[in-house]
Amino acid sequence: MVLTHTTNHSYTHPFPTVTLAFFLRYYSPQLNPFSAHVLSTDTIDSHVDPETGRLYTTRIHLKRSRMPSAIIKLLPASVTGGAGEKSSYVLENSIVDIKEGWMKTESRNLNFTGVLSVTESQHYSATPPDQADVSTLSSAVSRSTSANTWVSTTFSYRSSLGSRKTDKAVNNEENSRGRFGWISGWGAKRIQSSIESIASNKTDDQIIKSRDGMKMVLERLRSNGVVAVLRELNRREGKSAFEA
Amino acid sequence: MSASLAPECNEVKERYDACFLKWYSEKYLRGIGDDNECASMFKDYQKCLKVALKDRKIDKLLDEAREDSKDHDSVHLKRK
Repeated sequence: MVLTHTTNHSYTHPFPTVTLAFFLRYYSPQLNPFSAHVLSTDTIDSHVDPETGRLYTTRIHLKRSRMPSAIIKLLPASVTGGAGEKSSYVLENSIVDIKEGWMKTESRNLNFTGVLSVTESQHYSATPPDQADVSTLSSAVSRSTSANTWVSTTFSYRSSLGSRKTDKAVNNEENSRGRFGWISGWGAKRIQSSIESIASNKTDDQIIKSRDGMKMVLERLRSNGVVAVLRELNRREGKSAFEA
Repeated sequence: MSASLAPECNEVKERYDACFLKWYSEKYLRGIGDDNECASMFKDYQKCLKVALKDRKIDKLLDEAREDSKDHDSVHLKRK
């Protein structure tokens, strides 16, 4: 089973600024206080497709305890790695098309996938959803004057706990077939949907925090511009990457 | 400044990040699409990061994720 949850939102900032805020949102807790749970951010791929001009970026974020504690409590330590290991790696793929005025992003957890896979998909656009079908020319005109950016966010939750694939993965990692006896068979589906619903109930809270974080980054960019914002952050941290 | 998952890569990562953000805001967003500007910094950064990803077995997690998205959805990131 898969649980999904979609919300729409608009930012009162132009599309290019919103895409920049997306890349900057975990840059520093001083820029975005809601990013304190993000321990690291690394780029593993970044390239512009020469034909389309689209920018493809892949990043890995390490986040502290993104798995809801209600789920951690539900599971044996052999799955969660015990209380000490509550960080999860998140893989983020994004595509920006600056000419057409859209950005698509997809983020998913890399570990704990045997328990729960969470995927957050976002579609940012310089044109409102109901104008998506108007001709390219008129949307280009409205885009250049548009001060707003529309975003649709979909979270999907899929638990495959107790499935064959999970058991295989767990056996590889833990070499402990017996420990998962309790979860196989008729109980597995029930536990899977509990996990999916616990996780999905956390979504609203998560969406609000991530939106508030984006807004704070956007406000800083509006008043100062990116180079000034970064220079200020570096100055506070005693670095000089932008001084040269 | 956001850290790298590998502290030993922080310095090369910061240099690349600074370059990327400057290029992105001043060139890409203005429709000047050439992305070679930060290439040498990206290469240094990846050289360091690849080792760290392997040491932490994250490279395996990445392979699994790619396998998984072949099996499942990933409709969202398909090209328009």
